[in-house]
Amino acid sequence: MTYVLFTLSVLLVMGFVGFSSKPSPIYGGLALIVSGVVGCMIILNYGGAYLGLVMFLIYLGGMMVVFGYTAAMAIEEYPETWGSGFEVFGCFLVGLMMEVGLVLWVLEFDEVVVVVSLNDMGNWVVFEGEGLELVRGDSIGAGALYDYGRWLVVVAGWTLFVGVYIVIEITRGN
Amino acid sequence: MPSIYINIILAFTISLLGILTYRSHLISSCLLCLEGIIISLFIISTLTTLNIHFSLADIIPIALLMFAACEAAVGLALLILSISNTYGLDHIHNLNLLQCKK
Repeated sequence: MTYVLFTLSVLLVMGFVGFSSKPSPIYGGLALIVSGVVGCMIILNYGGAYLGLVMFLIYLGGMMVVFGYTAAMAIEEYPETWGSGFEVFGCFLVGLMMEVGLVLWVLEFDEVVVVVSLNDMGNWVVFEGEGLELVRGDSIGAGALYDYGRWLVVVAGWTLFVGVYIVIEITRGN
Repeated sequence: MPSIYINIILAFTISLLGILTYRSHLISSCLLCLEGIIISLFIISTLTTLNIHFSLADIIPIALLMFAACEAAVGLALLILSISNTYGLDHIHNLNLLQCKK
């Protein structure tokens, strides 16, 4: 239970390997949804209730639905999955073996020295206890978007409008 | 630096490798791996902000997600353009208008 967050991050990497080994887009979208769910759970474990919900609703609920419909338009008759052919399966297996090696390294040495020394056990061990906690730190910060960041809201709104207009002009075609 | 960042930086690198290599489809090579990069950047910025309890920087992941949604929409529109104008499939070897001059 202490290492639940590390396990979740391992599952995140496995999901990324799953769509980065390039199966057909439908299965890639499935792996991206799984990665998004695992990422949301990582954020929730840090106490970011609002940001995890943002990712779930807007990212998975909005963008992945759009991706699913577009991938259904771009589909071919026999989509290739992870079990068909050697290339996709080989890439997936190589990625998994790399991640297993990394897990063994971290469990053995407790630190990884790449450019900096990543060894801080700081905040991601889960302290189990009883009682209720009220998590509101990050929703207050995100609400500051409309107070301190009101010019960002204006710019973002204009960007979204221009983006929608571009999409309409592209799909009109002629 | 917390050691959980290893896996998330690794996820970013794996998605980056997914963009740089290509197989047959345009959507799975470019757009999905781009979404993977956006997810990993969102997670890293959120975890950093929550770790140092700097609530004002919670705006950064939300603004990042907003601009990424715009970009994904425009990318999908271009994909539909490449499907409907060429051969009905988004294979990369269909994007062959630009050829080397002999």
